[in-house]
Amino acid sequence: MNQIWGSIEQYNTVVWHWPIAVYLFLAGLSAGAIISAIVIKWMKGNDVSPSDGIIKAGSILAPVTIGAGLLLLITDLTRPLHFWKLLIHYNFGSVMTLGVLALFAYFPVVILFFMGVFKKELFETGPLQFLAPLANLALAYAKLIESVTLILAVGVGAYTGFLLSAMNSYPLFNTPVLPALFLVSGVSAGISANLVVGLLFFKSSTKDGNVSYLHGLDVKVSFVELFFLFILFVGMFYQGGSAAHVAHAALSTGGLSTLLWLGVIGLGLVLPIGLNFALPHGVKHSHGFVIFNSLIVLIGVMSLRYYILYAGQVFVG
Amino acid sequence: MAKKYGMIHDNNLCIGCQACSIACRSENEIPESVYRLQVWVKEEEYPNGTIGYEYHRQSCVQCENTPCVGVCPTKASHITEEGIVLVDVDLCVGCLYCVAACPYQARYVHPVTKAPDKCTFCHDTRLARGEEPACVTVCPTDALIFGDLNDPKSKINQALSSRVTYREKEKLGTNPKMFIVPNHKGGINS
Repeated sequence: MNQIWGSIEQYNTVVWHWPIAVYLFLAGLSAGAIISAIVIKWMKGNDVSPSDGIIKAGSILAPVTIGAGLLLLITDLTRPLHFWKLLIHYNFGSVMTLGVLALFAYFPVVILFFMGVFKKELFETGPLQFLAPLANLALAYAKLIESVTLILAVGVGAYTGFLLSAMNSYPLFNTPVLPALFLVSGVSAGISANLVVGLLFFKSSTKDGNVSYLHGLDVKVSFVELFFLFILFVGMFYQGGSAAHVAHAALSTGGLSTLLWLGVIGLGLVLPIGLNFALPHGVKHSHGFVIFNSLIVLIGVMSLRYYILYAGQVFVG
Repeated sequence: MAKKYGMIHDNNLCIGCQACSIACRSENEIPESVYRLQVWVKEEEYPNGTIGYEYHRQSCVQCENTPCVGVCPTKASHITEEGIVLVDVDLCVGCLYCVAACPYQARYVHPVTKAPDKCTFCHDTRLARGEEPACVTVCPTDALIFGDLNDPKSKINQALSSRVTYREKEKLGTNPKMFIVPNHKGGINS
């Protein structure tokens, strides 16, 4: 099809660019960080745990990453000064509205969680002392807040996938496995980010039970992620028609397929899984390796978001 | 019963003259870099060996089951009682979810308002005055037929009952109200 007159620039198929990919990564990471922090907190018991480095890392990472992500998302709107209209006009049939509502509830509870964890350091003395009652409230209702946070975090992690899968014009987005894939890879990113921040800034040690537990969990989660990626493409091939063509193109064409094979699958999934099988116990539980492993997992998850977002829009059958 | 507006693009009558596109730009004051409507051409070799041209109208197809309206978080994208899909610029935040969700690539970002814009069947101007859309009025070959799908006697219903038509991407279930009469030279006749 050729145009006869006029510019066809507006018909460029890529509508959502890299800021959206980074937002999807940060939202998933935020949800994963708080989910894994709460899991650790529940494992260790609520009284001893707030001093734990991993929990501290999660309590900081969750609000900071979702805040940064939302800021990026707002500045990426074509009418950023109108963003507040999202907060007062709802369409309950739109995944974006459901996401806004989930974030509405999620942001305060992750901040409450943070305040509870850092009560001693930040709110008992000093200029922020006036917030102490809020921090006390967070501690008094810790279990309830954590339960609610966990549910909302799963919602935030999965909604980013539903956001894309709701569009039936893009075969790579329009698959039921995408929300699950995004949730699982978000958990993986959250675990890794908690490990990096916990080990570097909060004197966590790889000798801590929860560090090796999370590190081991990360490998298992990577298996699930790999399997979901497999389901995604096999499902598209089974659909046949344009979905199968899109799957074939997305797996084999250009720089995006290279990003998938090298960045997402190679660096982010197969290398960590392989190293954790091949390396001796002493090495894979060393400070340096856990951080290295976490960083390549994070690069892999970011690559996955970038790949899905662009490949979904570029390969449309 | 409320009116339900639809349009027919007859591929046999269209000659790719671009009058519709120009009329649309003039009527709706479309900025230079963007288009509510374009007509594209595709060369075809017909079974008898001759070469012909297929014309494709690239514009909003006014879906009944609207992906763009469904995803809009603020209801800025909405559909009127008469079945015309519109954008309320005041409510729009510019998330571009509707631009992405449209399977027909009908939407573009208006360079001035920064909100998505698209064909409205000249809803605010010509339709409001009881006239037909600019593209229909100006078409020299009457390749465009516009009217009320709920009125059995309307021009569009008479044409629909006498010509073979199809709609684009019907498998997506969007139910476009833009009907296309395929080229007879391709072997389809009615």
